[in-house]
Amino acid sequence: MLKFSNLNVFYGTSHIIHGLDMEVRKGETFCLLGRNGVGKTTLLRSLLGIDVRTTGSIKFEGDEISRDLTYERARKGIGYVPQGREIVPGLSVLDNILLGCNARKDGQASVPDLVWTLFPFLKEHLNRRGTNLSGGQQQQLAIARALATDPSILVLDEPTEGIQPNIVEDIEKAIISLNRDHGLTIILVEQKIRFARTAAHRFAILEKGRIAAAGDTAELSNDLIRKHMSL
Amino acid sequence: METFVIGLSIGSILFMVALGLAIIYGTMKVINLAHGEMVMIGAYTTVLATKHLGFNLYLCIPLAFLVTAAFGYVIERTVVRRLYGRLLDTLLATWGIALILQQLIRIHFGLALFGIHIDGLGSDLQNVPVPSELQQAFQFLGANIPVYRAFIFVMALVLGAVSWWLIFKTRFGSQLRAVSVARNTAAACGINDKRVNTLAFAYGSGLAGIAGVLVSGFKTVSPDMGTPYVVDAFLVVVAGGVGHLMGTLLSAGILGEVQSFVATWLNDVYGRTVLFTVVILILLFKPQGLFVTKSR
Repeated sequence: MLKFSNLNVFYGTSHIIHGLDMEVRKGETFCLLGRNGVGKTTLLRSLLGIDVRTTGSIKFEGDEISRDLTYERARKGIGYVPQGREIVPGLSVLDNILLGCNARKDGQASVPDLVWTLFPFLKEHLNRRGTNLSGGQQQQLAIARALATDPSILVLDEPTEGIQPNIVEDIEKAIISLNRDHGLTIILVEQKIRFARTAAHRFAILEKGRIAAAGDTAELSNDLIRKHMSL
Repeated sequence: METFVIGLSIGSILFMVALGLAIIYGTMKVINLAHGEMVMIGAYTTVLATKHLGFNLYLCIPLAFLVTAAFGYVIERTVVRRLYGRLLDTLLATWGIALILQQLIRIHFGLALFGIHIDGLGSDLQNVPVPSELQQAFQFLGANIPVYRAFIFVMALVLGAVSWWLIFKTRFGSQLRAVSVARNTAAACGINDKRVNTLAFAYGSGLAGIAGVLVSGFKTVSPDMGTPYVVDAFLVVVAGGVGHLMGTLLSAGILGEVQSFVATWLNDVYGRTVLFTVVILILLFKPQGLFVTKSR
């Protein structure tokens, strides 16, 4: 479904990702792991075409998208939940979700029922300002906004980072449900090994912009974690 | 009261120019030094349309909006778009565009436009015929109020309301606000951020063009007439708080009144001096502007 081939990513003059080859299969949850600063977020940004320069190939559902603009990639079906959520100030919860509809091929400006199923809280607070919600609620809103794009693949950058524990569980359940119950392909950047093991089918550990280890989640051993992720 | 109304009309012109500037800066973080030239082009469009097409001042308003919006569209697509994120470069480039536009007008029309403008003859000699109903005055609270000044004020309110509706009540407005605060996320939501930029630039330029129409009714039209407006509009935007429609409105009103009252009591030079002093004081004590609100 998604294939990076010999991908190099540059941020300014810094060479962040070095000749990366990676494939994400349709219907799976793929987890990117690694210490801070190894290039996980940069890799996601290269997939979205955000503020980075790339060489090599990114193919999505057979199409080369590495030269496409960000909005064109979104319209091709890549949904993105950024680190830090980036809820638009001044817009209500509903308007924040509806922003995602700009990517829809059918041109509809309506919230998918799936959003209300996963996050009933949001339906009860449609007219509140998005930035007035708590961090966890904002994260739900950011996921809802990405779902409103009607994505074929959902890209989440540390979706449970800095979230209060009582909402973390809801968000984790929602992400797992999106994949298991609704068949959505997911790329997940995550630091929490427990959640990665629960949610992901396969993983890759990045180190200094290269894949240091990869495989099925069952192969994500404590040794690998100690070797590549311990501080 | 007359002085107050003159202040309102000055503030209204400032508001129209500053609103466009604020939309452009708020959306794409570009300080457009050619914005004053959109006022000038709006004024020249009015002169040409009244002379050659027989338009009256009312018809010139949408026409000048379209013409200056088209100029803004082309400037954004050809120059500004290539310089996003490079503040100093955009300053230099738009300043260059301003000079080019001024000189083109100067070369084409000369200093004495159509032979009816003679420098130094004062504001009573207009290049644009103002409709007779706007040349009247009416009594309000014992004061003699020129209808044209009131018309400018009403136009500013109408444009403010239209802009408010556009920004806060339309799908394009949501896109504009998203692009202005979270460009990448907006693009990741499928919003064509470059198109939003272009349209915002065109709309902001169009507002300045309408200001040019109204200015041409009481000031002689000249190639460099826009420069003072862009400076004053910057003061309004900075004093009001960047990105705040209401702040821009109130700030324009306050600065317009300050200039009007001081200029009436003393003279124009003192008016400008006090205006700059007020803005400096605002920046000293409220660096974010007068009307900035905090959000979580």
